Amino acid sequence: MMKLSTLFLLCAFIFTGSKAFSASVDLSDFDNQGKKIYEAYDATPQIYMSADSGNRNLADFYDLRQYPGSPPRIPHEVDLTFSGDETDCLSCHAKGGYSQEFGKFVPVTPHPENSLCYQCHAQVLTEEKFVETEWKSIMPPRLGRSFLGGSPPPIPHSLQMRENCISCHTGPGAVVEIRVDHSARGNCRQCHAPAVQTTPLQEFVRKP
Amino acid sequence: MKLNRRRFLKYAAASSAVATAGALFPGVSFGNWQNLTNNSGIISWQKAPCRFCGTGCGVLVGVSDGRAVAVKGDPNCSVNKGLCCMKGYHSVQMLYGKDRITTAKVRKNGEMVEVPIKEALDLIAEKLQETKDKHGKDSVAIYGSGQWTIPDGYVASKLFKGCLGTNNVEANARLCMASAVTGFMTSFGIDEPMGCYEDMDHANVFITWGNNMAEMHPVLFSRMLANRKRRTNVTVIDFATRSTRTSQAADKSILFKPQTDLAVANAICYEIIKNDWVNWNFVNEHVSFHKGKTNIGYGTEDHFAFKDKAESINFEEYKLFLEDYTPEKVEKISGVSARDIKYMAALYGDPSLKVTSFWCMGMNQHTRGTWINNLVYNIHLLVGKISTPGNSPFSLTGQPSACGTVREVGTLTHKLPHGVVMKEPHREMAAEIWDVPVSNIDPKPTYHTVEMFRALDRGDIKFIWIQVTNPMVTMPNLRRYRDGALKDDRFVVVSDVYPTPTTDVADVILPAALWVEQEGMFGNSERRTQHFAEIVKPPGEAMSDTWQIIEVAKRLGFEKQFPWTQDDYIGKIWEEYRKFHAGPKHEMASYEVLKKRSGVQWPFVDGKETRWRFNAKHDPACTNGKDFDFYGKKDHKAWIWARPYEPAAESPDSEYNFWLNTGRVIEHWHTGSMTRRIPVLHNAVPSSYVELNPEDAAELGIVNGEMVKIISRRGEITIPAQIKGRGVPPRGMVFVPFFDESYLVNEVTLDAFCPISKQPDYKKCAVRLEKA
Amino acid sequence: MPIFSYLAMPKSGAKEALCADLAALSHCEVIPSDNQEIVVLVTDTPDETTEDKLQKSLNNLQSLQSLSLAFGYDDQEKQGR
Repeated sequence: MMKLSTLFLLCAFIFTGSKAFSASVDLSDFDNQGKKIYEAYDATPQIYMSADSGNRNLADFYDLRQYPGSPPRIPHEVDLTFSGDETDCLSCHAKGGYSQEFGKFVPVTPHPENSLCYQCHAQVLTEEKFVETEWKSIMPPRLGRSFLGGSPPPIPHSLQMRENCISCHTGPGAVVEIRVDHSARGNCRQCHAPAVQTTPLQEFVRKP
Repeated sequence: MKLNRRRFLKYAAASSAVATAGALFPGVSFGNWQNLTNNSGIISWQKAPCRFCGTGCGVLVGVSDGRAVAVKGDPNCSVNKGLCCMKGYHSVQMLYGKDRITTAKVRKNGEMVEVPIKEALDLIAEKLQETKDKHGKDSVAIYGSGQWTIPDGYVASKLFKGCLGTNNVEANARLCMASAVTGFMTSFGIDEPMGCYEDMDHANVFITWGNNMAEMHPVLFSRMLANRKRRTNVTVIDFATRSTRTSQAADKSILFKPQTDLAVANAICYEIIKNDWVNWNFVNEHVSFHKGKTNIGYGTEDHFAFKDKAESINFEEYKLFLEDYTPEKVEKISGVSARDIKYMAALYGDPSLKVTSFWCMGMNQHTRGTWINNLVYNIHLLVGKISTPGNSPFSLTGQPSACGTVREVGTLTHKLPHGVVMKEPHREMAAEIWDVPVSNIDPKPTYHTVEMFRALDRGDIKFIWIQVTNPMVTMPNLRRYRDGALKDDRFVVVSDVYPTPTTDVADVILPAALWVEQEGMFGNSERRTQHFAEIVKPPGEAMSDTWQIIEVAKRLGFEKQFPWTQDDYIGKIWEEYRKFHAGPKHEMASYEVLKKRSGVQWPFVDGKETRWRFNAKHDPACTNGKDFDFYGKKDHKAWIWARPYEPAAESPDSEYNFWLNTGRVIEHWHTGSMTRRIPVLHNAVPSSYVELNPEDAAELGIVNGEMVKIISRRGEITIPAQIKGRGVPPRGMVFVPFFDESYLVNEVTLDAFCPISKQPDYKKCAVRLEKA
Repeated sequence: MPIFSYLAMPKSGAKEALCADLAALSHCEVIPSDNQEIVVLVTDTPDETTEDKLQKSLNNLQSLQSLSLAFGYDDQEKQGR
């Protein structure tokens, strides 16, 4: 019996050994998780990609954030029994769609794999401050800052936690100012290069 | 002056209003108005092919007040249908880098001194004549590129081969496309793909062979993705040695060990025959079987020579040859599971699926580059999936005119615009069109690119004129060739647009017109010739490479062969060149047609483009009365070759235990001399790096951004590490993009090449790593 | 030869109409904001008469709520003094 199981294990090892060569790289874990974009592109129905409800705008969007890039607060009431069980948030925010309860289209999260939502997204129980603050935010990235007339604007924000372009920039839940009208093209970063606005622009100079 | 002042005032007025708005309404944005400095606000648009890769996207260049200010995709161009990639969209910015070369420079007492361009041209002609007189005609050479326009390459060939009588004409396309050419020549007897990009709209299966299309041919890649989304029956397989964006987008990513694509391709053929998926009607009518020499070497030694010899074999002998390549045997060589090999074979074999294979540098920069091209054709030929819409073995190109200028004009040592120097009728044709004595054209080829730079190092070549390319970044085993170029009695002329490591070794620098600062034509991967007009003026004394060569030719006494004026030379050159390709196999469109259209595919016969060659329904050159006619070969058949697996020139061992692979990123094109001067592209990838597998990095104790020393038997570089960045190599491999002149990875690479095509292998050599 | 720049506020929801109206006028350059209901207008007229005519046309625009001057420059005036 013992011998048999060793043999069995050995076989399994050889099998996975040869398979492991292709499987040695986790395709979802490099290039800013770019695989998400391709998956979202394929999974999102065309009609959904081109839909526009126009009910979210940039002012609301930044109003929920302490600074550009911070996790937004939860702008609606959450069921009191809610214990941070991810499936509750993701039942709406993974794929989006129309919410009868709120009477509007739901925004889609770019990072559904991080499922402990409460870790970063806080509820708002009071707008009152404990003590007034001297906190000042920075300007949100300006829109449409193309490098030349008509060229595709660069990606002005960091891609960390915001890897999936399609989740925020297409569909009826998207913020209207940043919704794209050419979602038929799925390889977003073929035209839009990252140029994070909070880092200074560099100029190429040959080394002497 | 007044206009400028007024423009300034309007600019001030606008800025002031924008500033006021910003103060009153925080967060208000006015888009990109600051980048537009023109006064008239009127933009005129003119067509051109994109300056970068071989896809050949049509672009419209927006011009305002004499400056290029914008780019959009040309909706009339069937290649890209209005879409570009980030390089194309920002391409016009490359015209306006601050360090643009606008005057000629000549080395005097070790210093580069600005001189009037006439003086530089006089000096070039004088030196060329002097070197030829003293050391013989084969001591002078010209080295161009797949970025030469068609007229550039044509006049270079005419001057050097026709007038000066030397076959010392090469181009950097030897480093990128030579194996594709020899692949076509050995399998079909005629160069360039039988299919076209329209295949993408018909195919059900796409297999990318060592080809990161998502970054290197992004516009074609997104057309593939759009097809997959629109049609439900499309599958994309990425077959590669490293995981990339393409692997992420593919339905399946299959990794193989470097060089073992040869074995896998044979295993696929083995499976096709074993399962009787052979298309016998096609094979019996249109295919013949052959074998060539084996153990053919790697060319790392000077004066290496090799000539293949084809022998006919029958199908049974071919089948026997494949016995060595059962999926189970090949799994051991390649690391690809027998199951995956069988899966790929089944996709090729299924008669209900249309299959397109794409490849580029992975198969061409390969010490068995010709063989692997043959082997992928073998697969398509066995199942008859070729020359019909959607069934397409498709060799992509990396430069805008590798096909147009190097392959069609024939700017390689053995080539002529029609045929090869070795054949008398071809020499006679060239002599007649060029108006030179036939005895001028030497029937013996001289040096291919690697050997040309070896000859420069040895001193066999003393004068070299380099145009539109940057070999002091791109030559493998670089240090030898740079030291060679710097030797005392070598005279190096470089025509370029920006200072580069190649202009650093020059004795004369000529300022060149860039892209749409001159009229010209490119030829893309799908046999499409694309004309562009001079849309903006070249800066300073810069002139087109064509005209530089003509100026020197006239100084050498060849006015009769170069009689044109600067007003009409491009059209006249085109009409002269076109004579070489008369006839249904290669007929080119007229100058007038090219000017009007956004690219025209050849053969262009009776006003019709040919989309699928060798297919009697589409190709007017088919004459055998059957459904297909592979007329490139004398037997009117396509050739299947028995080509074995042979290992790489250098593989990792206990001392040098990693593979080194090199290549590109989407942002930068080749050596970055243009794209690094485009702000958005430079900012996205400001410097090169070495990609490591995360587990290798952990073992070596290297974290992201730390410096790593890459050491080979030839040299070493110290370069920052990138882990889980743009791509991930498998364990035991590192990858370095070659665009950055601060990290010259080619000082580490090996100058081994395919003995048939003479194209070096930039994807495989052995290195070891140290934490720096 | 006056050059002026203004912040133009459209009537509610009429930004696009305003841009179109302004662009239709001669001697006007329009830079619309891409995220707020504001338009920058730069005018460049060859002489006083044209300038007066333009002012009248601007006053008659239905889509325009208000116009506030941000920058002014006049050649003639300067030379006269």
